[in-house]
Order: sequence, then structure tokens, then C-alpha cells
Amino acid sequence: MTKLEAVIQPAKFEAVKDALLEIGVEGMTVTEVRGHGRQKGHTEFYRGREYTVDLLPKVKIEVVLPDLMVDRAVQAMANAARTGKIGDGKIFLSRVDEAIRIRNDERGETAL
Amino acid sequence: MTTGPQPATPASPMGSVVDPATDFALRGLYRHEFDRIRRDFEATGSGLASLSDRTRLVDRLTLTLWDQYFSARGNSGYAMIAVGGFGRSELFPHSDIDLLFLAEDEAARDVIKDEVRSVCQTMWDTGLRVSPVTRTLADCTRFDQDNVEFTLSLLDGRFLAGDAGLFERLHSKALPQLIGRESDVLLQSLSEMTQVRHQRFGNTIFHLEPNLKDGPGGLRDCHVSRWVGMIVALGAGRRPELISTRKNSEHAEMLDAMEFLCSSRCYLHYHHDRDDNTMTWATQEELAERGVATKSGPVTPAEWMRLYFRHAKTVARNNSQLLGQVSHGRSSLFRSFQHWRSRVSNDEFSVVDGRVYFQQASDAREAMTVLHLFTFIARHGVALSPETERRLNDAHRRLAETMPQDRHLWQHLRELLGLPHAAEALRTMHSLGLLTPAVPEFETIDLLVLRDLYHRYTVDEHTFMAIDVLHQLKNNHLICLQPFADLLLELERPELLFLALLLHDTGKGLEGADHVQSSRQLAAATVKRMQLCEEDAQTVCFLVAGHLEISSTLRRRDIYDPVAIRELAGKIGTSERLKMLTLMTLADIKAVNPEALTTWKAEDLWRLYAGTATYFVRSADKERLDAEISNEPAEKVAALLPARREALLQFLDGLPQRYLLSHSPEQVAQHFTMASHLGAEPVQLGLRDTSGQQELTLVTADRPGLFRTVAGILYGWGMDITKAAAFSNRSGIVVDSFFFKDRFRTLELNPTERERFKRSVREILMGEAWLDSLLESRLKADQKPVKLTVETRMRYDDECSPRSTLLEVVTQDRPGLLHTISSALTSEECSIEIALIDTEGPLAHDVFYITCDGKKLTAEQMRSIEWALSTELGDALPNSW
Repeated sequence: MTKLEAVIQPAKFEAVKDALLEIGVEGMTVTEVRGHGRQKGHTEFYRGREYTVDLLPKVKIEVVLPDLMVDRAVQAMANAARTGKIGDGKIFLSRVDEAIRIRNDERGETAL
Repeated sequence: MTTGPQPATPASPMGSVVDPATDFALRGLYRHEFDRIRRDFEATGSGLASLSDRTRLVDRLTLTLWDQYFSARGNSGYAMIAVGGFGRSELFPHSDIDLLFLAEDEAARDVIKDEVRSVCQTMWDTGLRVSPVTRTLADCTRFDQDNVEFTLSLLDGRFLAGDAGLFERLHSKALPQLIGRESDVLLQSLSEMTQVRHQRFGNTIFHLEPNLKDGPGGLRDCHVSRWVGMIVALGAGRRPELISTRKNSEHAEMLDAMEFLCSSRCYLHYHHDRDDNTMTWATQEELAERGVATKSGPVTPAEWMRLYFRHAKTVARNNSQLLGQVSHGRSSLFRSFQHWRSRVSNDEFSVVDGRVYFQQASDAREAMTVLHLFTFIARHGVALSPETERRLNDAHRRLAETMPQDRHLWQHLRELLGLPHAAEALRTMHSLGLLTPAVPEFETIDLLVLRDLYHRYTVDEHTFMAIDVLHQLKNNHLICLQPFADLLLELERPELLFLALLLHDTGKGLEGADHVQSSRQLAAATVKRMQLCEEDAQTVCFLVAGHLEISSTLRRRDIYDPVAIRELAGKIGTSERLKMLTLMTLADIKAVNPEALTTWKAEDLWRLYAGTATYFVRSADKERLDAEISNEPAEKVAALLPARREALLQFLDGLPQRYLLSHSPEQVAQHFTMASHLGAEPVQLGLRDTSGQQELTLVTADRPGLFRTVAGILYGWGMDITKAAAFSNRSGIVVDSFFFKDRFRTLELNPTERERFKRSVREILMGEAWLDSLLESRLKADQKPVKLTVETRMRYDDECSPRSTLLEVVTQDRPGLLHTISSALTSEECSIEIALIDTEGPLAHDVFYITCDGKKLTAEQMRSIEWALSTELGDALPNSW
């Protein structure tokens, strides 16, 4: 099993969610986060006041998938989240040793 | 056949033994009878019958066990008492069995320990969840403020077995004495416990998946009402009188509500097979389909939930009134506060202990007085007294028939909506059935349930909450909400925003997929009936129609993308509408559920607002109207003056797009008419009242120092300019608007002064009188130095306009500020092409698009202006950024 963590533009969340649903990914955990990569921040003005926006709004999506689905999911996420500009986000993959469904103690991929 | 593990057989010194045969037989009996009661419930749907049947069954079981384990001891010195729901004979299918083993003294308590354990263990083995306590008589008469629940449970005590005399000593003597002694503390604790419980549910009954037991308007509130009645009676030395007959309409309503809630909760217990009291969507559908508690058979889920909310409202109202009536037992601080509130009494209403009464009983039949009453509630946050509520209920039919729906309603509503407790006043009005006679469009969302995972409240309650969100902004302690609180204070017409909020979801009650358009149509009907002026009506309809626009941008677009910002600004049009729509978005999100507005969302909403507001300022000189290019806002104006279309387009030629967006078509048409008369009268002036301020409109040919001169005249008359905008067209005709507060109420108190004021403006602009003489006396009067709390900042932007340089000045507001700044610019030989002036409390935010000799400023000119302004505004050195 592999855990996918995608940090994407909030504006692309609906598209990424739909893309994942389309390939059969039913469960996901979504968090509102702030951060930046190479995009860094920028300066904004409001009524004469200058403020630096260094941590930009992002959405983090976490899904744990059977290994067979990972490539398709990564592709679906990347395609849906891509604008081609700096700040589109990143996808991180990591191994997951075990999954346990709390309700009935099912384990492994059947618990996903 | 399989058998489960057998429990160990405990033996007591006295020889009491849990008999497995008895255990088995009882379990069989209980299961058999439990199933029979369930079948009876499924056949009759009567929750009350089910409760009493199960109580009788458990009575039988406990008495059997008592006989089995206590028979050898006799009945002297201890008793078994049903308390809690068991004591009230209200045992729901999976409710705990609350048992009190009462002992004469500690010795007796020790003696019965093993028997008590045997009884309880057998009950557990039988499948009953027993919650036993063993107390001596002295324990029960000792008040423990940390365990008020125990004393309350005694109020429901019912003798089961044992020493009847001992029970009587508790029930008829010790308990009344205890309650009499501690009634104030008990009532206070009960009130606090109820408040805490209600807070857990957001202080509203209107949950989409309500909890039938603990939620506001649930069965626990019925118990609280019962306990309050008992404590008050026992405290006064009377026998408690419980609601058991329909002796009046209030009792009948309460009994109906309890019956409804009991039947529904019974169904939930049977359905979930456990003590689960949350009415999920799935169970709502089943309850509706089976017609549980409806008395009229199957209904739709929405209809069933409306029935539920009506009954819950009855319970919540009864509970609130009873707790309100007993407030005299509360702390002296609370009493002092309530007493202070009583000072708000006036000729129409008196307030006693936070409850409002009519001074004249007959006033309850007069719709206008009743509207005054709700405005009074909105202002002072007081609640209706039971007597007032009864009078209003009695007069309901007449009130519904005579309630105004036209401009007379708007006169009241516009005041009410802007008051701090508006939501509570509207909620009260709605619960009495008096809001829909006034605003029939609201009927569509009366107790309307939306079946999604996001909304937690009914649509009407969501609406009241949204209004309350804005009124509570000033009390919030979250840093992320503070800018929104400031923004609300800046609104010119907050009542229009509140009216839009009241109507924004009315379309959800109509068939069709697009609730926004339905709501807009209903809002249009409402504002037409209430006879709002065209401009206000358009604003309300715009807000209702656009109430999801900002949310949509937040969700679907990059909020830092200039294209997204420009598109949003294009849809919204003016900074005032942007402010209102931003606040509407905030309120709408926050009122969906307590967690819906995260700090993350609030910050993004603010950034989107700030970005769009800045765009409005920076784009003012970018997009100018062209007579040759068709333009939708211009065509709207042209439609008003079809015969003069060409002349109108010439007038608009070269004016910034912002000019059209910030004025209604009617206003633009009026400006055009004024410009048409310039030949006869070279200075055209308009003066009108706008919600506590005056607006001076000037249409004339441009000339050097014009803006400075008008600002000076207003200052000379003692007027405080809060907002201003100055635009000019390609032919050199200027349209300036100055909004100002009449500091000395000169125009308000002396109507003849209005003409003299206009004449003064005209004469000075025509060179027939001197500004300096007008300013002289004012300058003398305003010699007192202003304490500066806002740091002066200036900023140039040379990129945002193709033809002029933007100068932005943020500084401390003070009398004559605009005259000071514009004089400095004039003395530097600058021409003000566009001016956008705004004031927020102590802060003045002025934006000027300026040119020198028709060109952008040079770096040297910028430095020179900066130096001059810094000197004039009181800062030793320029503070630029």
C-alpha cells in the first residue's frame, strides 16, 4: 500500500477530487493548509498597508491506495491539478505497512 | 444449543445467592415481554404506552428480585426506590434503570450490600442496564453542589419495595426540607446545566439531525421544566402540580409535544437497538414513511421534520419561560444586570426581570405596536414574558390580517435589522407566526430541512444565524474576524445587507435547481412590495443574486490571480457592493455550521476582498468609457433617455468605467440632465439626505483648483467629508460627489440654510464670493491640534494608469483634511483627474489620480508633493513605503 499526499492549489481541489472519484478512489482526507515551495510569497497592498503573503493557501489531500492503483491516481491528480505555473503543488508517495478498519478489525488492502 | 459463559455465583454471609434458574427465567420473561411491547408499539405507535408498559415490566422484575434476595431480611430499615426516568415511569426501550437503595443508616447500608449486588447483577444478566446507588437517609438530605444531579433524581423518586415508612420520611419530609433550603441554588444550577447543555448544540433547536433527548427542545428540557415546577412548589411549601391534563392550550401543546417526542425516541431506540437519540436522515425518512407520531399517517420527511420542530419549539419556549421566571434566585450580579434592563421600560413596554410586557394589554392587537415590540426586543435583547406571548397568540389572527407588508413594514424592518439583537427579535417574531404575515416569501423556508452533509440547521434558522453572525462581529475575539467587524462599520446602508441576508435563501423552499435565481425573484417581489427606492431595491436583489459569487471564486479560482480578481470586480461593480457581498459571504458560511468558517477560509476571504478592493482603486483610470463602443451600463442609462441617446453618450465619453458602476442609471441620467443645463447655469448642484449623511453633487466645467475649492467650502461650513469621488469626461465636464456629515446639524435644524449653503457653493465657484473669508472663522475655531493616532503614509503608483500618476494618502482624519491635501496638490500645480476619498473611523484613505501639465508626474514632482504633504499633515519627514 502507498500513501499519496498531494499539496495543491485550493482552486484545483474540486477537479482533483472528481478525477480521483472517476478512477475509483472513494476515500480521502482533506486538510486546509498554508505553505509555499518555490512559489514563495508576494507582497499585497490594502489601503496603504503593505502585507507580505508568504504562506499561501493550499489544500492537502491524503489517500492510501493499493499499489496497483498508485500510478493511475498520481496521473489523475497531476493532470487535474496542473496549470503549468509555479505553485501547482506536489505529490509525495510513501509506503504504508498496515491498514486497519477500526469497525471490524479488517486489515491490509481490504481495510482501505 | 450453545450457552454463554455463566456468571460466577456470589454468596453472601447471609446466604443470598444469585439463582441461575431465576436468572434464566427472568431473562426469558424480560425478552418475551420486551418483544411484545415492541410489537404493540409498532402496531399502535404510542410511545407513552410503550414507556409505561416497560416501566411496569421492570417494576415486576425488580420486585421479584427484591422478594428473592431481601425476603429473609424483612422490610425494615431499607427500601428500593425508582429514580430518574424509571421513577417518572418513563422507561424508554434502552434507557438505564436508575435504582436507589435507601438505608436508614450506615449500619443498614452495610448489611444490604450483598443483596444489592445480587439484585443488580441479576438485572445485568437479564439484559437490563441498571445504575444503582446506595445512600443513607442522611446522605440524601445532604446537599452536594458538585452532585446536583443526585438531588434532582430524588425529585422523581417512586417507592418500589421495602420500608415504606422510610421512603415517606425521605419523600414527604426530608426532601421537601432540603429543596426548601436549597431551592435557589438548585434552580441556579439547573439553569446553568441547561445553558451548558444547550451550548453544546449551538443554542438552537433547528438541527438537521437533532438529538431528541439532550438537544434544545428535547425531552431533557421537558424534565427540566418538570423539575423547575417541583422545586418552586416545594420551595414555597406547596405540593408540586405536574402537567398531566389538557387544562389549557399551553398544557395541551406541551403534552402533545411530549407525546410526539416520546414516540419518536421510542422508535429510535427500537430502530438502533440501543440508547441512541440522534435522529439521522435515514431514521427521519422511516419515521415519516411510517407516520410515527403524526396522527395522520405517512408524510414526507420534510413535513415530518416540520412537525418535529413545532413540538420542539413548544418545549424550548416552555423551558425558557420557566427558567426565566425563576431567575430571581440567581446571583446578585445577574439581578443587578436584570434590574438595569428594567430601566429600558418606556410608554409602550415595561421590562421586569428581563421579560417584556405591554403597558396596555390592548396593544397586543395592534400590528404597528407589535412591530415596535420586536424592534424593542432587537434593541435591548429582552425576551417576551409568558403573558405577552399569550396575548400575542390570542391576537394572532387579527395581527396576521393587519400586519403591514408595504413601506410601513420597511420603516420598522430597516431599524430592527440594524439593531444588535435583530436575529433574536426575528426568531421570536417567526416562532409566533408573525414574520410570514409580514414577509410572505419567508414562508417557503419555514422549518425547511436541507438534506446534505454540510448544513446543520434548518434554512430559516440558518438565516437568523447569518444575521446574528454580523451583529456579533463586534464582540468576537478572533483576530481573523476583526477586519470584517471594521468593514461592517464602514457600510453606508447596512440595513440593505441585512434585508438581503433575510431573503437570500428563500428560493430554497421552491421547486427548481437554482435557488439563487428563485431567491432573487422572491427578493424582487419583497422589495417592490415594501416600496424600496429603485437604487436600494437593486442593491438588495444584486446581493441575493450574487451571494455565492465570492464563495465560488474562493473555491474555484486562485485568489491571487489578477484575472480572477478582475473578473470578480467586474461582476460586483463597486467597492460598497464588494464590502456588502464579502460580509454576506462570511455570514452565510459561518451560519452553516459552527465549524464551517475556519481561520483558513476567513483569511482567504479577507485576502480576496482586499485584492478586489485594491483593484477598484488601481483600475479607476484604466478603463474609460468610449462613445463609440457599446457598453451595457451605458445602454441602461440610455434606455431611460431614448430620445437623447447620442448626447448622453457624448457626456459619458471619457468618464471612467467606475463612474458608471458606482452610480445608478437614474443618478447618471440626472447628472446628464444637470450637464445639459450648464449653458444656463454654469454650476449645477444637487443636495440630498442619504442615511444620516448629506450628498452634494456638483456638475460643472473643470477648472484649476476646483476640487480643492469645494473641499474648502464644505470645511468652511463645518462639514465633515467622509467620502468623495471626482470624475471628468473628455469634454472637461466634472461630476463630483461629496458625502459629508453635518457636524453642527446646520442643514438639519435650519431648512432654509440648505439654499443658503448651495448659494454659497455656487457663488464661490463662480468667483462671486471668496473662499478665504469663509475659511477664516473655521480655521480659528479648529485651532486645537489633533492627536495623531494614524501614521501618515503616501504611495505613488505610476503603472496603474496610462495617463496619470496615482497618489494614495493614508492619514489621520481631521477637520479640513481634504482641503489641506487638495490645496497642497494645487499649490504644486497638479490637476486632480480622479479622486476617491474614503474614511474609516480615525483613518482617512484618499486616492488621487493626478497630472501636471496633462502628463504623469516626474520623480522630482513626486518628491516635492510628498514633502509638501508631509509638512501639511504634521509629520516631520515623509514616511513613504
